[in-house]
Amino acid sequence: MKFMGYRRANGTVGIRNHIAIIPSVFCANNVVEHIARQVKGAVALRHPVGCSQVGFDLELTARTLIAMGRHPNIAAVVVVGLGCERFKPTELYEEVKKSGKPVEMIVIQEEGGSSKTITKGVKIANQFAQQEVNRPRVECDLSELTIAVKCGGTDATSGLAANPVVGAMSDLLVSAGGSTILSELNELIGTEDMLAARAINKEVSDKVYAAIFAVEDKLRSGCDDRYVGRNELISPGNYDGGVSNIVEKALGGVYKGGSAPVTDVLEYAIPPQPGQKGLFLMNYESHDGEVVTGMIGCGAQIVAFTSGRGTPAGFPFAPVIKLTGNNFMFEKMKENFDFNTGDIINGEATIKDKGKELFDMVVDVANGQQTAAELLESYELFCVARAMGSNPNA
Amino acid sequence: MKTLKFLVLNPKDTVAVLLENGTKGDRVLVSEEEIILLENVEFAHKVLIADSTKNDPVIKYGVNIGYMKADAPKGTWIHGHNMGCDRGKQKESF
Repeated sequence: MKFMGYRRANGTVGIRNHIAIIPSVFCANNVVEHIARQVKGAVALRHPVGCSQVGFDLELTARTLIAMGRHPNIAAVVVVGLGCERFKPTELYEEVKKSGKPVEMIVIQEEGGSSKTITKGVKIANQFAQQEVNRPRVECDLSELTIAVKCGGTDATSGLAANPVVGAMSDLLVSAGGSTILSELNELIGTEDMLAARAINKEVSDKVYAAIFAVEDKLRSGCDDRYVGRNELISPGNYDGGVSNIVEKALGGVYKGGSAPVTDVLEYAIPPQPGQKGLFLMNYESHDGEVVTGMIGCGAQIVAFTSGRGTPAGFPFAPVIKLTGNNFMFEKMKENFDFNTGDIINGEATIKDKGKELFDMVVDVANGQQTAAELLESYELFCVARAMGSNPNA
Repeated sequence: MKTLKFLVLNPKDTVAVLLENGTKGDRVLVSEEEIILLENVEFAHKVLIADSTKNDPVIKYGVNIGYMKADAPKGTWIHGHNMGCDRGKQKESF
């Protein structure tokens, strides 16, 4: 099966064609936003990091911003630096350039302030837009499509309807040769035996156990007796919605990955090896923005995001399909949702049929159909992960 | 008395999930057996469908999701107050 996408110089396939304006440090955010506002098709990747970090935190900053610049949904990149930051804009520029896409760098201290940098940045970005924005889509195989799956604002309908539908869609995509990335390993605690048994070999099975146990150890180490009531691993909203504990929540969450074999466990924002396809786990936790950013950094061009209680969050350059199983919230927050699985809760539809319907929507969105979050210009899910201490298992 | 919509996700399950808000005295019909709600239970919350004793496993999705903290008859609302879980929590008091 085919879809229409944008083939980049390095062979990867995008489903959107944006110009990314990327600050190498948060000090450049305002300049970046001013540039993006003035250029059609441009997106600002505002973030709060880039300065005064060391070790693995700095590695995550570098890895993430480079992965965003190299992402196939991005046609061209303008790197905006300040000039004294620890994560150097030259490193970002050089690494994006290796992907073969057009990239330029401007540095605020060298240009002589905000206004001059904005003027120059707008000029560069407009040139990129003229070159790139009307690039035609070309026929691509579904094996070149990767979807990230995520749940946030979970209630019990997520585990009963929306997540199983995403899983059914994932099974269809994987059987068509495509790929799915599942993460939020803290929310898979209790399902490690099930996932490890689906690993394609012993090495991957060991990686599944190691990743889930590492996140469990990390969470336990963060609990503090002084703050009883702040140590729960599920949110008050989850609990009020009828999900009693982390194992029950995990069983509802793991459904998003369907039933395919586990191809590999990926590290944060590092894409699979060329030729690797299928269902992947990504080694990270469940902060909505940080984990979605990591999965997009791993190469996902599109996101399926289930939310029983509703969330408006979107990503600057990747479509996010919002689903719910909660009929009440679907009506109440209609403008934020793309797909309702509440008819399963009503006993009026099957998971299999809804999975096929969602799969068809995924292909439509890959072909260019705008999602609710895109129409509302939501961008909140772009967040750079933090290592949270010295543990390199992020 | 109202007959409530519910889901039993796996034949092994010891709980049903309500698909609408239930009031004490309402019923669910599980495999033709009438189970009367012993208390109010909200939409998407769990109702015990098998008489259970302390430390019995609670089964949902066909998998052990926790254990009974005390004996309870069918029709009981099951949530964190009467179901313990050794995974993901350090202390019962949390």
